[in-house]
Amino acid sequence: MANFILRKAEPKDVSDILRLIKELAKFEEMEDQVILTEKDLLEDGFGDHPFYHCIVAEVPKHHQSADGHVIIGFAMYYFTYDPWIGKLLYLEDFYVMKEYRGFGIGSEILKKLSQTAVRTRCNSMHFIVAEWNKPSIEFYKRRGASDLSLEEGWRLFKIDKQNLLKMTDEE
Amino acid sequence: MRFTICAAKPEDCKDIERMIMELAVYEKMPDQVKISHKELERDGFGPNPFYQCLVAEVPEELMSKDGHTKVGYALFFYTYSTWKGRTVYMEDLYVMPEYRGKGIGKALMATVAKVAKEQHCVRLQFSVLDWNKPSLDFYLAKGAEDLTAKEGWHFLRFHGIALDNLAQEAP
Repeated sequence: MANFILRKAEPKDVSDILRLIKELAKFEEMEDQVILTEKDLLEDGFGDHPFYHCIVAEVPKHHQSADGHVIIGFAMYYFTYDPWIGKLLYLEDFYVMKEYRGFGIGSEILKKLSQTAVRTRCNSMHFIVAEWNKPSIEFYKRRGASDLSLEEGWRLFKIDKQNLLKMTDEE
Repeated sequence: MRFTICAAKPEDCKDIERMIMELAVYEKMPDQVKISHKELERDGFGPNPFYQCLVAEVPEELMSKDGHTKVGYALFFYTYSTWKGRTVYMEDLYVMPEYRGKGIGKALMATVAKVAKEQHCVRLQFSVLDWNKPSLDFYLAKGAEDLTAKEGWHFLRFHGIALDNLAQEAP
């Protein structure tokens, strides 16, 4: 099965995007953490100030999934900034449905993203991967990715809403 | 100590450039700084800014021994979590050593939190080097959680030649 297209996501795709987000979260064993809704995705991706960009992988109807879906993969990204090197492309989510893996769809998505990065003058494409996710780490390392957490010691931190509000109250 | 926190202006970019280098020296990676105040001006103050920046300033009578009144900065941008929605990523937070311990870092971070709250962001994320104990302690005291330790997230990147190679891979 080599028949698929990659295209920019449109507002009508938000329901499929949310479905795939939840599938990926399930794989990462964190499905209950997804609180985003279709309405959020619509407002935040297709409003006046998009917070993200998205490409989707679509197969023809005769190759639809067991559940009748033709949108079978996606990548969500946005532009960030590194004060040392300038603009970066940050890959937030990247997923291809299990039954469609091994056909080069993931590689094609990654290639398209890297072309977008180069075209928009980004020097680097960054993303995070869970350390137990060996297949994904291998996939990226085979293609030349380096692990900055291992090589330079960077650790990712978060401060959630509750503590953020505490900080603003203290001022 | 008296100080103000304000949104950076284009003319602040030379001071920001200076402090970016000071922070890079502290992080033991000064040779990785490739951009100057010119890129900072172009990328932060055009019609499509790639980052936001706050600057901490002291009155003239408290200027540093080198004659600077801009003594700290926080550089951040909006990102997107497919689980939670809008988030803020704080890329840099820095206060010159002679001005630490006076609440400037805390005030910079609280202002970032305030902006995050106004933009309906649900989370603040940032990264810290694993040996940087003073910073780790500062953030943990504010309720930060180490997602690398807790959930195993690693930062990966495709940089420079690796990115170009990926973009050129034949279909």
